[in-house]
Formats: sequence, structure tokens, C-alpha cells
Amino acid sequence: MKGRIFEIKRFAVHDGDGIRTTCFLKGCPLSCVWCHNPEGISVLPQLAYYEEKCVHCGECVTACPAMVHSLTEGIHTLERDKCMHCGRCRDVCFGEALEIYGREVTVGEILPLLLEDRAFYGEKGGVTLSGGECLLQADFCAELLKRLKAEGVHTAVDTCGFVPREAIDKVMPYTDVFLYDMKAADASVHIKCTGRSNKIILENLAYIDDRGKPLEIRIPYVPGYNDGEMEGIGEILHTLKNLTKVRILPYHNYAGGKYAALSMENTLPGVLPEPAKLQMAADTLRRYVPTVYG
Amino acid sequence: MKKFNRDSYRLRHQFDDIAWVSESGLDEAALICKFEEFMENRDNLPKPILKAMTFRMICRESRIAIDEDDIFQDKLFGGRLMLTQRNRWQKETVATFLAGEDAANDEAWTAYGAYRGHADFGHISPNTALLVREGFAGMLKRIEEAAARPGLTEKQQIFYESCRIMYQAMIDFTMRLARAVKPYSTENSEALAHIAVGAPDNMYEAMQILILYFFLHEYIAGARVRTLGRLDVLLSPFYENDLKNGSFTKAEIREMTYFFLNKFWSAGVPYDLPFCLGGTDRAGQEVTCELSYLIIEAYNALDIHSPKIHIRVSDKTPPDFVKQVLSFIRAGNSSFVFISDAVGIKSLERVGVEKEDARDFVPIGCYEPAVWGMEIGCTGNSDVNLAKAVEFALTGGVDGRTGKQISLKTGPIESYSDFLNAVKKHIRFMTEKAMEYVREIEKYYIDICPDPILSAMYEESLRRGVDVYEGGAKYNNSSVMFMGIATCADAIMAVKKLVFEDGDVTMAELCRILQANWAGAERLRHKALKACEKFGNNKEGVDEIAADIAHYAACITNGQPNNRSGVFKAAMFTVDYYVYLGERTMATPDGRLSGDILSKNLCATVAMDKKGITALIHSVTKMDHAEFPDGSVLDILLHPSAVQGEDGLDAFYGILMTYLQKGGFAMHGNIFNPEDLKAAQKNPEKYKNLQVRVCGWNAYFVNLSREEQDAFIRQAENNC
Repeated sequence: MKGRIFEIKRFAVHDGDGIRTTCFLKGCPLSCVWCHNPEGISVLPQLAYYEEKCVHCGECVTACPAMVHSLTEGIHTLERDKCMHCGRCRDVCFGEALEIYGREVTVGEILPLLLEDRAFYGEKGGVTLSGGECLLQADFCAELLKRLKAEGVHTAVDTCGFVPREAIDKVMPYTDVFLYDMKAADASVHIKCTGRSNKIILENLAYIDDRGKPLEIRIPYVPGYNDGEMEGIGEILHTLKNLTKVRILPYHNYAGGKYAALSMENTLPGVLPEPAKLQMAADTLRRYVPTVYG
Repeated sequence: MKKFNRDSYRLRHQFDDIAWVSESGLDEAALICKFEEFMENRDNLPKPILKAMTFRMICRESRIAIDEDDIFQDKLFGGRLMLTQRNRWQKETVATFLAGEDAANDEAWTAYGAYRGHADFGHISPNTALLVREGFAGMLKRIEEAAARPGLTEKQQIFYESCRIMYQAMIDFTMRLARAVKPYSTENSEALAHIAVGAPDNMYEAMQILILYFFLHEYIAGARVRTLGRLDVLLSPFYENDLKNGSFTKAEIREMTYFFLNKFWSAGVPYDLPFCLGGTDRAGQEVTCELSYLIIEAYNALDIHSPKIHIRVSDKTPPDFVKQVLSFIRAGNSSFVFISDAVGIKSLERVGVEKEDARDFVPIGCYEPAVWGMEIGCTGNSDVNLAKAVEFALTGGVDGRTGKQISLKTGPIESYSDFLNAVKKHIRFMTEKAMEYVREIEKYYIDICPDPILSAMYEESLRRGVDVYEGGAKYNNSSVMFMGIATCADAIMAVKKLVFEDGDVTMAELCRILQANWAGAERLRHKALKACEKFGNNKEGVDEIAADIAHYAACITNGQPNNRSGVFKAAMFTVDYYVYLGERTMATPDGRLSGDILSKNLCATVAMDKKGITALIHSVTKMDHAEFPDGSVLDILLHPSAVQGEDGLDAFYGILMTYLQKGGFAMHGNIFNPEDLKAAQKNPEKYKNLQVRVCGWNAYFVNLSREEQDAFIRQAENNC
């Protein structure tokens, strides 16, 4: 069984407790306008070209078996539809301007990579599966998590919750904590932000909570999109029994370059959060979940 | 007890424009005159006596100054006379006995950046605990008792006489200060008068005597003290007593500590003056106590970077103590280094130090371990450029840029193992040349720098009546510092792949390309940079090479006899030579250009560690740090977001403790956002106080050279 991943991040300190290694799986059912991992949305492998790094050496033109790259009068153009994602251009690129996001791995291949840093995990750290949406590959995740638990490693699953119930059931026995994202309480706001309703998301959240699994909630704060949702989210969180932590993730727009590199439409909002408003949002949430806001 | 005034300009700048009291003694001209007269007319006197008498003259007759705002006094005009005296003796000695060797040795470093050895009177670990227990008078008594024993040789008698003269002189000076400060502070005057005749009774007197000792030994007698020792160990008896007896309150001791630390800060001791906190004692008990916390808190509150603090970490060092220090580093107060108790002890045992002695090690200078009060470590004796060994393996021992034959004529090279062996031959050649020079000059240490003050603080030396620089200490060691390990390993790896695995070039072609600084070989250089493994990414191949070279360097160095009945110890750090040596090293197979910086300390080649801090630590700990009894260090650089908040502090602690558990010896760090560094480069006036941890001391970023600044920026951007 293979899984498709696009990144392994080491010394991850914002993906659950302690020092962790995070594995990012490719493919996501949502289309959040503020997404800062756009390379994780499509399930398919993607060629990325970072124009500002290109040194116009032409090595990729020579290396490519499918004539994707051309260099005419100093201008580098790409015919992405022809790309077979073989990676040869990336291997020869002088400027490190090319990247292929998305490669297939077996559980056996990825496991040692995730265990490599176990000396650093200590009591609180471990491995997190994220993405994209890792639970779109629930069988793969379940197998991987099972092996990680057999190795005594703490496991976290970072999910948006917009997945079939079975997907959650498959991974639950091997998951120590769910990192659950909440974008909005109101369904229409949720559609505006992510393209999908939050009905299933809220149902899955309650389901996980009912089963007694620890939950760490992450709330992206995006002015103009979900900044009015804090009370609504707070009310929902207030009903949950197994919250370990709730935190706001202030929106940032560092990912702009990736959209361009992937030739994807840049949907990133222009307005950044103000510190005062962030403080107010935090205060609001703290009122609903005073013991776990952090 | 005065309160420390943080805003006092005079306190912080007390050494800038000292108001020497003219009626108190000879002015500079008269002092120099007397000194020259001295040196001329007393040629037949043994040097220890000459030195002692010079010291006595200064202590009794040179001008003093009083700091009205300070609670500690120290100021005596030394005019750098005794340093001049020692330099003169060194020059004469070298000219007489080592002229040829000296020139060759010097050239090997300054012209070719290969290796060098030198005398080292600057890395000592005096038993300051003994001094604060005994006081000057107590020390004098010990000297007199030892001198009174029957059957001493003339040489021993001369030795004891020189000690006696110098300690009496320190007492005389202390009394002068006691009298001079009386109109301004009865308290200070009484304390000084007391420590002139007896042992310190309380924390105030203990700190005052430490200050007196330091300034007299370093600034007057011309030594480089390079550690005050284990400060919590030597001061905590006074701390506990004072609180118990009510002599001083904790708040008063805190104020004293501010004055104490500020004294060394305002003196501007080169490379920052260290002291040590934490770790285990001779019996294996952890020493961290309430005073340890008070000291680091006071230090942090002053926002200074000298003294610098060595934190010995054992498995019993309280996590909250370590985390508090980490939080200071995170906030920009990075003048700390963490040192592994276990590895330090083990490394010293491997070169013949007894276990209890090894437990009482103190880091000297940057972080070199030496036994407190028992070892003269000479931990900065010689330097060897590992990257240069690769150059020599390629060229057959010729300096690539000048064509001069410097090392052995190795070659021809038919296989990878031939190449690796050639590199090792050159490392051995350079190391042995450096050790040879050190052994030569060690014979004359006693002619250059007899040190009675220091010798009396080494119990073995005092008992035997033999100066520490004549082998009088229990352990009399020397050292070799190896530099540029990552560049060396990366270069060897590149040769393996480009020449022997992929056959992209022959050895001869590669050598020509490197001598031409990669001209016309852009594609090959690109492959060298991108497709050849680099140290610091947890890659088996290149990491194995680094470990192999490190092990080899250690094996040919550790335990090799010196000329003082001791042994050589190996170290793995670059001091601040990574720019200097880089300028003198030709282009290397890993893709580095001629003249570019070498790798620093145990770090990856700048910005070549692409897999983050965990991978870097994996790579670095594949070497056995206990094979470097002269020390080693890893510099880490993290982005502020990685260590933000409570979780971030835990992560920082996790990184450090995992590094130590995996066998790491020393680690220090910088927390930087590359944007801040770039802004500091553009607008230095706005970033005057931005501190940077350099090899083993701190500097202000805006005072670094452009190359050094760029290296930090590149690394910070890489670590984003």
C-alpha cells in the first residue's frame, strides 16, 4: 500500500506537543482561500517553478524527456500539461528553482524516516500526520500509525474533519490526539472560506469527543473571512469534554510564492490580522474554554 | 551596603579614564624608568625573583585609584610592564633557541594557513577556591611553611622566595587600598584591611579578594586568567553562612553580585572572562544551589556579555535552572555555553586524569576542560587546518595558490582509499610539526614565564617547590585544535563521488580545476554543491568520513607526550579562524571557492545543513566527543518562532538535552531572525546592542567583519 506525501518536516514544534516530525500527505477536500500549503490540495504530483530563483542556465531544457521547459530569448516557459513528474529537471537545476511536490511511499519506506528523530521526542513529542488532508488516505495512515504505536511513538492526526466517518474509525485506535481545525461555526461562512459546508466537520468533531479522544483545536484567524466566528466557535467548543488545547493561528501570507510557482490562482486574502483584534479573539475564546486556551 | 546603580555611567565605564591619584605613587614615566633600571642592573638575578621584585615594586610604589561609586576596589597602574617583561624574555628565548623553527612555524600559518604551534601561557585554571578559603595571608603562610622544610635545593628556595615576595606584595597593595578608600567607605576599608591579614569572613570579602586576585594576576602580572573557576562552589559556603549569621541578606548579596559582575564587564576582558556554574563535584554530587540561580538572574538583569558563563550540565542539574539560562539566550543574552559533565569527565579520564580530579574540571577560555587547581592545560597551543590536508592530498603537499612545497610529497593516487590515506598523512604531518614546535618551546616556558602567583594556587606545585610552567602541576598538558572538519569531510566526499564513483573528472583534472578556482567548470561545481552529500544532514556516507577524520586526528594527538611530563589533548573548534584560514585555502572539491570561509567548529559548512537542527545534531554526535579532551563545540542558530512561548522553551531544552544525551560535549546558540541581521548590517546604529555568540565569546554583530556578518546571515536564512 502506498501513500502520497509532499513533505516531511523535522523539529516541528507547532504540530502538537513537544518536538515532532510531521508527515504531510497530498490531497485535500477543502479549498481554503488562505491555504498556505497549496501544494497539498491536489492529490496529483505537481511541478513547481520558482521564477525568482531561475538562473536561465537551460539545464532543465536539456534534461526534460517531455519538452516541458523552453528557454527563448532569456525567458523560461513551461508546458505543465506535458509534465510526467520524473524529477530530472529538479535534479539538474542550478538555481534550485524547480520542485516536484508529491511522491509515493510505502509504509515501510516512510517509517524509518519518521523514527529517525525519536531521540528528540521525549515524553511529549512524536509524529504528526498532516497535509493536505491525511485522512483521505485513511488506510495508509492507519497502517502507518499502527506501526508507529508499535514503536512506542506518540501520534497526532491533524485533520480538517471533512472526511468519511470510516476514515476516522480506521485511525482512531492508533491516534493519541487529534489536531482538529475549525474555521467557522456558521455553515455559509464556512462555504465562503473553504468551499464546503461544515456539517460533517462538526459531526465528526462531536464523534471524536464522544469517544473520549483528546482534541487540540486550531482556529485560523483570517480578517474578512472568519473573524466574526469566534463566539460561534466558542459555543461549540464549550460543549466538548476532551479538549486539551485551543489556539488561534494568525493568518500569514508567506505562501504567496508557492501559488505562483504552482501556477495556481492565488486566493490569499490581502488583510493581515491586527494584534488588538487577535487579542480580542483570544479573549472571546478564553471565556468559553478558560482552562485550555493556550 | 550600597545598591548597584544600573544607570551609573561611572560604574560602567570605570576603566575608561581612570583618575589615578598622583600623590599615591610613581607616574608612568617614573615607573618605566625604575623598571628599566631594574632590568638592566639585576641581570644576574634568577627570573622568578626578577619578576617577583618587579611585581612588588608596582604593588608598593605605583599609583592607585579609588572608585567612590563601587563597593569593590582594585585599581593599580601596571603600565603593562610585566607583560613587556615577559614578551622581552620570550623574544630573547626564541631568538636564542628557536629562530629557524619559529620563522617556519609562523610562515606555515600566516602565509599558507596550514598549521602552527605556539607557547601558551594563557589557559590556566587556578584554584580560586583555595584562595578565598585562605586569603592572601593564608597563602603566604602556606608558602612560608613549605619554604621552611629542610633539604630544599637552591632552585626550590628561589621558587618559594619568589612566591613569598609576590604574595606579600599583594598584601601590601591591599593595605594601600584599605587606607586610601577609608575616607569614602569604612565598610570597604575594613573589608580590605581584614583580607590583608586573614581569610575572607563573608561574601563581600570573598568577592573582594577574587577581584583583587584577578586584576593583580591578569592586569599587573600579565597572566591570562581565563576562568574564575566554579563560582557557585567557591562562594556558596560564604552565602550560606552569611544568611545563617545574618551578616548579609539575600537582597544585599544580590546587590554585591551586580557590582561584582559589573567590575569584570567594565574592564572589557578580551574574549570575555568566564566562570562556571553547575555540574558534579569530586564526590559526584550536583553543585547547583540557590546561589547559582541568584548569579544567573543578576547576570541577566545587567544585560552584559562579560563575564561569560559556562554551565556544566549533569543528569542531576535541575531542568528549571537550564531552562532559565535558555530563556536568557532566547532573549538575546547569549553569553553562555552548556557543557556536558559526563563527556568532559570521560574525555579527561581518557588522557590519564583520575576520576575524582576529572569530576572537578572547569572549562577554560571558551570551553576547554581542565582540572581545577591541578592542570595547566595550555588549551590553545596549536592549530591544524583540516581542509588544507585535502588541498595537500590533491597537490602532493604543495600550497595550491603559491606552488610552494609545504607538506609531504604524497601521490600518485589510484583509488579512493589512496586519497583518504593521503589526507590523513597530511593531517599527521601538520599535527606533528605543530607538536614539534610546542615541544621545543615548552623547554623554555620557565625562562619566559615563571608564575609564582599561579604556582602557589596549585597545591602540587607549592608542595614540590616547582613552578607550574616547569611541570610543577599535577597535570601538565598541551593541545592541538583541529579546524574545518565539515569542509574537510564534504571535500573528501566530493572527491569520492566525482572522481571515483561517477568518474566526472580525474584527480589531475580536478586539481587543475581547483587551482583555477573552478573557472570553466560551472557544471562540475554545481554537481559538487548539489549532488554530493554534505555533513550536517544525517547522511551516512559523509558523516562517516567526518567521524573517521575526527577519530584519526584524536588518535594521533591524545596521549602523545609533551615536554613537561604531560600529554597532548585534541580539540575540535575553530576559534575565530574560519575566515583567516579560508583566505589561505585554495578552492575545495565540495564546491567551495578559493578564499571562501571554512566551516566553523562542529557546524556544517555554512548553510549546507538543509535538514534542520535534528539532522545536524545526528551528524555531529556520530563523532565521539569524549575523544576531544581539549573541547569541541556546536553552534546552533534557530529562528525565534521555533523557540517561542512555553512550548518553545521546552523544545529548546529538548534540543540541548538530546544533544548532550547523544554524547555532545558543548553547545551554544543564537536565536536570530535573518531580517534583523540584514537590517543590522544596513543600519548598524539601530542595532548597536545586538549580541552574537561567536566561537566561545560574544561580540556585537555590528562590530563583526563583513564576511562574518554575511556568514551569520546565510546561516540564519538557511535555518528559516
